[in-house]
Order: sequence, then C-alpha cells, then structure tokens
Amino acid sequence: MTLIDKHPELARYISEREWFQFLREQTLALIEIPEMQLQVKTLDSLLKMYGRILDAVENDKPFLSSYYCLAPELYTAMDLPYYMVMQTPFLASSVPYLLGDIDAAEEMGLGSDLCTAIRLSIYYVEANLSPLPTCALNLLYPCDGAPLLHEVIKRNERWRNIPMFAPDPPYYMDERSLHYFASELRKMAKFIEKHTGRKLDMDKLKETLECSNQMFRLWDEYNQLRRNVPSPHGWGIGAPQCFSQAWVYEAGTPEGVGWFKKLVEIAEINVKAGIGPAAKEKIRLFWFDLLPFGWVFDFLPWLEEEWGAVMVMDMFGNYPYTMIDTSSEEQMWLGLAKRNLFDSPMVRQARGVADNFASDIKRIVKDYKIDVVIWPGHMGHKDGSATVGIMRETCRDLNVPFVHLGLDLFDRRYSTPDQIKDKISRFFQAMGLG
Amino acid sequence: METKIKSKVFEKFSEATRTLFNPVLQNWKDQGGKIVGYFCSTVPEELITAAGLVPLRMRATGSTSTERSDAFFSSINCSFARHCFNLALTGDFKFLDGVICVNSCDHVRRIYDNWIRFVPDTKFVEVMSLPRKTEATQVAWYRDEINLLRGKLEKHFGVKISDKTLWKAIKLHNETRRLQKKLYELRKQDRPPITGAETLAVMVAGTAMPKEQYNNMLRELLDELKGAKGHSSHRARLMIVGGILDDPEYVSVIEDQGGLVVTDSLCFGTRIMWVQVDESLSDPAEALSKYYVADRPSCPRFYGEHDNRATYIIDMCREFKCDGVIGERLMFCDLWAVEHYMLGQDLKAAGIPMLKLDREYLTGGVGQLRTRVQAFLETMGR
Repeated sequence: MTLIDKHPELARYISEREWFQFLREQTLALIEIPEMQLQVKTLDSLLKMYGRILDAVENDKPFLSSYYCLAPELYTAMDLPYYMVMQTPFLASSVPYLLGDIDAAEEMGLGSDLCTAIRLSIYYVEANLSPLPTCALNLLYPCDGAPLLHEVIKRNERWRNIPMFAPDPPYYMDERSLHYFASELRKMAKFIEKHTGRKLDMDKLKETLECSNQMFRLWDEYNQLRRNVPSPHGWGIGAPQCFSQAWVYEAGTPEGVGWFKKLVEIAEINVKAGIGPAAKEKIRLFWFDLLPFGWVFDFLPWLEEEWGAVMVMDMFGNYPYTMIDTSSEEQMWLGLAKRNLFDSPMVRQARGVADNFASDIKRIVKDYKIDVVIWPGHMGHKDGSATVGIMRETCRDLNVPFVHLGLDLFDRRYSTPDQIKDKISRFFQAMGLG
Repeated sequence: METKIKSKVFEKFSEATRTLFNPVLQNWKDQGGKIVGYFCSTVPEELITAAGLVPLRMRATGSTSTERSDAFFSSINCSFARHCFNLALTGDFKFLDGVICVNSCDHVRRIYDNWIRFVPDTKFVEVMSLPRKTEATQVAWYRDEINLLRGKLEKHFGVKISDKTLWKAIKLHNETRRLQKKLYELRKQDRPPITGAETLAVMVAGTAMPKEQYNNMLRELLDELKGAKGHSSHRARLMIVGGILDDPEYVSVIEDQGGLVVTDSLCFGTRIMWVQVDESLSDPAEALSKYYVADRPSCPRFYGEHDNRATYIIDMCREFKCDGVIGERLMFCDLWAVEHYMLGQDLKAAGIPMLKLDREYLTGGVGQLRTRVQAFLETMGR
C-alpha cells in the first residue's frame, strides 16, 4: 500500500515534490553558473520542506498548515514543519496541470472573478488535495479572500475536526494594534503547544529570532547591491527566493543564513564586474506585486531581452527590515507582531489603510533609481486596484511613469502574455523608455 | 407584482429611498441639523444619533456614471464603491458633515483612503477597525473603537456623548428594530400585506432620516397595514440573501415574475434589526460592541460564523415558509462569492432551492434577470 493509497490528500503534494525534484535534477543542477547553483540550494530547502511534511504524515508526527506572515519563527523554534495551504498556486504554478485545476475550481461554482489563488486553494481543499495537518493556523488578512478561504476550510468535512486558530488582525499601524496582535500571537503559540504537544522554549525562540535577524540583515545588504546600475540581478533571482528562504523554507535557520551569505557573495561579484541580467540595462522597473507565476517564463525574459527592462525591485523584495529585539520575552512578541503585521510583504500594503502603497513607491523609486512603476493589477487584488489613483498620483509627484496592466498572475488566459507585452511595449514607446 | 400600498406615509419612505438628499434630510439641514454618512451596517449609528446628528447609511442612489471615480478605482472593483466615490467627487455628498468608514471589504475600505486624499471638503472622515472574529477579545477591541470614535465625534462636533445620551439613542434604535420586526412579522402571513420591494423601501428609508421621525412614520404604516387584504397572486415565496441591495426596483423585477420576497438576510434587511442591543448591560459602548460584533446575524465579513449564518437563513426560510432562496451578489465581491458557494451546499442539503445572481449596483440587465427568475420558479415547479 503506497502513501497515496493511505493518504489520498497527498496526491497533489507528492506530484509537486516530483515536479520540483525534476526541475532540480534535470535543469538547474546542470547549469553551472552561481545563480543557478543557488537556485538548486533554494530547491533543496523546498524539497526538504516537502520531505518533512510527508515524513510527518507517514510517521504520525505533528505538522501545521500556516502562512509566512503568521510568525514562522515560532514553528522553527518548536521544530514543527509547516506548509502553506495557498502554496500550490504560487510554488507550483509552472506545472502542466495548473490550468486544468483553475477550470475545475470554476466548475465547482466559485465563479471567475474571485482571486485565482483563493479559488485554486479552495479547490485543493474541497477536492481533498491538501495535506491534513495536526492543527491549522488560519489567515484572516490581508484581503477578503483569505478569511473566506479559511471559512471553507473550517467547514470542509475532512478539515472540520482539525483544531484551528486564526489571529485577528487590527486595521491600523499603531502601538495599540501592535499589542493586540502580539497578544493574538501568544494565544496562537499556546494553541500550538496544546495541539501538537510541542513546547515553546523561549531560549530556542531567541536563538531562532537572532538567526532570522541575521537573514534579514543579509537580505538588506543584498538589496543595497541591487541599487547599483546595472542591478546585479533582475527577476530571475531575488525577491521570490529571498522571501521563500526567510519566511517559508528556512525561517530562522542557520541554513537560511548560509543561503543569504552566498547570495550576497554572488551579487557582489556581479556588481564589481558591472554585470546585470540584461545585455544592456535600459529601464529599471518596479513591479509592484508578485511575479506572474503562471506564465513567468513567457513574459519576464522578454522584458529583459526585448527592452533591456530589468525588474530591480518587486513587492516581495523590499520592505523595512525591522530587527526583532530579543532582550526580553515581551520585546520578542512585539517584534514578531510588528514583523508579521506591519512589515511582511503584501500584508504591509494590503491589510490596512493604503498609506504604504504610496510610501513604498516613494522609497523604492528613490532608492533604486526606478524609471517606471508597474502595477500589474492582478484580478484578485481588489484593494490594490482601488488604490490605483493614489499610486498614480504618487508617481506623478515623483515624475516617474506609472502603468496599470490588468492581468491574472496565474491564469494566462485572462490577459495573454502577448496582450501584456503589447500593452507594455506601447507604454514604453509612449513614455520614450528603452 | 402590483404595489398595493398607496398611503402618504409609504410614499415618504419610497421618496427617501429614491433620493440621496431626501426632503426629510433637507428639512433637518435647513433647521441647522448635521448629517454624518457611514459605510457598512457595522458602524454603530447609535453613536451618531447620540451626538445629536443624523446617521445616513451611504448609498449611491441617483448615480449614473463612474466616469470620475474610474481614475481612482479599477474595473475589478465593485460598482457600489465606484458609484459612491463618483458621487463624492462630483460633490453630491456635500450635504454631509462627516463620513465614517470601516474596513468592511476590500472595495469599500479604500473609499476612505481615496476620500481623505481627494475629497478635501469633508472635514470629518474617520475609519474604524472592525475585527474579523466574534469572541470576547474582539468585542473588547471594538468597544474601544467605539469609545475612540465617541471622543472624536465629541471633539469635532463640540458635543458631549454621555452614557445617558448613548443609552437613550440605543433605546431609540432598538425601538426602530422592534417596529421593523413587526413589519416583517406581517410577511409571515399567507397573504403578506406588503411586498419585498416595498419592505426594502421602508428599510432603506430607516437609514436615511432621524430615527424618531422614522419610528412615528413606521407606526403609522403598521396601523395602515393592519387588516390589509394582502398579496395572493404569487407563484412562490422567496428569501433574498446578499449584501448592499438598496434598490427596491431590483426586488420588483423578481416579484413581477411571481416570486414574492417575504424575508431576507441583507444589509438593509433583517441583519440590522432581527436582534436588539442588550439594554441590560452597564456600559453602553460594550453593549453596542457586543451587538455589532457578536450578537446580530452576521455577514461573511466575520470569520468562523458561516455555520451560524446558514442556520439563520434556513430557520428564516422555515419561519417565513419560503420555497426558495435568491442569493444576490455584486460583481467582484469575494466575500459573497465564497459565502454563496457554501450556502448553496447548505441549502441543497436542507432541500431548499437557491438561485445565485450576480449584479451591478445600478439595476440593469432586467431581461436576463427576468429570465433567470422565471427559470428558477419553473424548476421549483411553480
């Protein structure tokens, strides 16, 4: 009897692991440039995460479903593996079955204007294609879709009896909110202890947070290097990998620190040599969202090759890297609350009032010598799309061109890569860029 | 379905619903009164009343275009938010002395961000932080939010909102709820004396005029409806479930096909009045918070409450002898997209048919709506 026979909910999870194993061995590992070798290390971390979850299921060990912005350092400190319910649309979006899954989600009656990431995640839960955790930490921000996804999870017959906890997010960015959310995180830790049998050792948490701080410092150092002209890296390596390491695969681990050190080392070499991802860097762009994971290879290489347009920064690459003060338990909780609620990418922009949409643009345009700001306008990012006027005004004040595209990060049929290329080309031409 | 109520008082309700700055509000302003608009029924309007102001639930009634707001919102934003903000930009809300927003949904919460930046004429614009959960901690959080807003209202409008005045406002609003519930009780009859469209007009009007005046008018209407003959030509009794439906015309289209709407779970319906604020508590802010966060029938904005919501709807269907449910949703609303997905399954299990309708804020596509409702009634064998 195979693991899938015993646990049919693992079928998709195992397929994903095999897909990434294939990518690692048959493509990336064969390319002997430093960036690709670092990508191999990223995939190793990812495969380790898959392996830990599968091992936990097979050997009846506790594991969690959770999110990057729900204090993953806690799980590292408690030696608990976790996976993100929403990970498949992001991580495995290049897999051949993605479009079929999107259609299946629509056929379930979820319509077509609901965020595709949410629709897919609901589909994976309802179709029994998500691992069933020991306990679930549910996400109530940054958008309307997240709590509703977890409402479906809470109601699903296979998940119904799994213990769940969801920290409640305040809307502001002030001290009162910080203390409230820190209290929610404390409750969450107690909940995890109760349902997994693992204890949170505060010394271990301190050690984990110090490791995590080191990763964030190195990430910041790396970002300083991306300010150079030409930028040492574009879309190919940077934000998605840094984010994955720091927040998901290696949150607060020494392996994560090692990965960031290597990244900085590689970027320094490029800076010294004056090398960037494009043959000639002509446009430095700020892509203010996630990458279009569902069709990334059909679009982003073209930007660099056709236009010399280098994605110097994106939404997940840069935000205030607040270090967590580990001098006391109280400060550690407050630091975790701040990092996860006020600082974490996408959450810092979308959860609360829209101030960070404007302030992030101002900061990044200035720091990274940005020539153009692109708001991709993912069909699921309703709050961001209700902020386009604010973003446009901000860019007007900065005298930097701004374009709103309108696309689906996962479904290439919503706006095809060719349509997007055409729109961008016309915009660049009109603005005299490139 | 023929509108039967011809009385003067109903015409006033209807007029208040058809217009934004209705004659009652105009009269209030003429007498030096102030009006504060609020988005979402989770804003405690009692607080506004206690400040001596008239609370006006924000609508975009009369809007015909989103020409100006389209520069600030996008085509994937709901048409309610776009129409509403368009009216703000065109100055149609100039009669307001303040606006209170809440992080109710991804579309409406951004009206606040745009309003404070691009509608500088409004001097009092605030946003409240509404919790997602409904536990004691969240009740305490929202109680503090209410008290913070209370202080801001006092400071800006130069008034004092004592516990005593707040309790007085709570009792007044509770009286509104009791009267509205009486109206709904009439609809349980086999021959309801009022249609769903008419009821919606009465309910919307209740959010657009001083409560004392409204209560008096509603008492008058209830007297008029006593012993009325009632409707009997309908093919089916329906419940309507959804969000910000404020246009009685939309319900009329459904009723014209023979589906008499006898109850609802709407922002302008039972969700705002089926339960009262608990008057036995000592702290009025606590009582309001408990009501708005935990006690009243919730909408999908609140997490962990779907089972309660489904039970509420199924119970209401039984209580009002409904043959089916119509779920209406504004396009691009993620909250109601998922809620209707789950509710469809719950109702199916309970043997109650459901029709899901997506719509734009301004009632349009009437032909298609008629066809879908007719087909729905036919599938129910009606």
